[in-house]
Amino acid sequence: MLDILREYWLLFLVGQYPNGPLGGLVATLLVAICGLGLALPCAMAIALGRISPYMPVRIAAAFVVHTVRGTPFLMVIFWSYFGLPILLGRPINGFVTLVGALVLYESAYLAEAIRAGIEALPRGQREAARALGLNYWQTMGLVILPQALFNALPSLLTQFVSLIKETSLGYVISVNEFTFAAAQVNNQLLTKPVQVFSILALTFFAVCFTLTQTARRLERIVARRRNGMAKDGEPTALLATEPTP
Amino acid sequence: MIFFESVDKFYGSHRCLTRITAHVAKGEVVVICGPSGSGKTTLIRTVNGLEPIRSGRIVVNGQDVHAPKADINRLRREIGFVFQQFNLFPHMTVLDNVSLAPRKLRGLPREQAEEEARALLARVGLAEKANVYPGQLSGGQSQRVAIARALAMSPPVILFDEPTSALDPEMVGEVLAVMRDLAGSGITMVCVTHEMGFAREVADRVWFMDSGVILEDASPEEFFVAPRHPRARRFLADLRHA
Repeated sequence: MLDILREYWLLFLVGQYPNGPLGGLVATLLVAICGLGLALPCAMAIALGRISPYMPVRIAAAFVVHTVRGTPFLMVIFWSYFGLPILLGRPINGFVTLVGALVLYESAYLAEAIRAGIEALPRGQREAARALGLNYWQTMGLVILPQALFNALPSLLTQFVSLIKETSLGYVISVNEFTFAAAQVNNQLLTKPVQVFSILALTFFAVCFTLTQTARRLERIVARRRNGMAKDGEPTALLATEPTP
Repeated sequence: MIFFESVDKFYGSHRCLTRITAHVAKGEVVVICGPSGSGKTTLIRTVNGLEPIRSGRIVVNGQDVHAPKADINRLRREIGFVFQQFNLFPHMTVLDNVSLAPRKLRGLPREQAEEEARALLARVGLAEKANVYPGQLSGGQSQRVAIARALAMSPPVILFDEPTSALDPEMVGEVLAVMRDLAGSGITMVCVTHEMGFAREVADRVWFMDSGVILEDASPEEFFVAPRHPRARRFLADLRHA
């Protein structure tokens, strides 16, 4: 396995670049970052739509969520791959198709996580913001979403990780990404598929695991800053010294 | 300052406010009391539009709060509101909680807004807690911060919805002290509370409510010494036995 890596590490990392299109792990991460960066704002919009005071908006948002959640991701990719060029009237490249499909698919799932985060907040938070005179958007942007996103962080993270893994389905429409690079290496070697695809699996695992661990640490730091003293300060001491009647 | 003109409100088919007509003068301190479920909290929440009404009018500071064209966000800046559950924003420091509205709504630069916020925190005796998060405060401290936050827009009117009901008994005093101080400052105050000592001492008038009706509107002396309505007499007797 190590000799395969030694031989083909550049192909795994960036694909044919600079002699061909950018590919490999770098392309996968790029797709994931673009997908995530675009899906998050879309997801927030859909989540707000789901709890909008206006019924037509609620219905439209619910339609998007339920349609996407009832569709396998592969279908979304095929639909984007064959459908988008017809809709737009010109060909689009695989990279854009994959990012588009990811954004559509993931924003529906992320939206549900964000909506749950919003609905878990006490009603008083919104009322307090409105009572100060903040309007709907200020209330959402300054008070509700910062808390909801933080509370939804664990489920958002699960979704981010699955987004990274879903980029590998770009393989079926020949997007130059990590899985595609691995397949190319495999085609050159022919005799060592298990080793080649183990490299693929281990790398995916390393990336996703690092991400979860980092986010978990971040979460803990924020939580500690918000109620640091409450955790290892006075109240604990109070509990410990309180006499039992 | 605040006029209620035959205000009606329903929850479904249940009528929870029935033709409320009343008036709070400028600078007056009104305490609303009554058994639970009598509509006190609902009534106070209609004043800043947190609860819609079926019919009637509520005029605050010369403006009809429930008029279809009313700019409710602008009106709310003129009406401070203190909740039973404090409802501080847990993701912001105490200083940010208090300075948020002045920065976002009056467009004050951060430094000036924070300076004002520090002055308000000093007024409620919590100057040293400015950079702490609400999760680190006791209930009494939280409610005092919430009062400072409600005062940040310098509203001429402030409403209290059972401000001491969620507190441990030993913390009620510190919150009432702040409110007493506030009552002496000339601000118009409407306060739903079960603290009858506070009502007797600070209120200009006491409203007694039951089943969505203001049964009695009297000075504290009249109300506590010789309540006219039998329901009010029973309520006061129950309180004494409790």
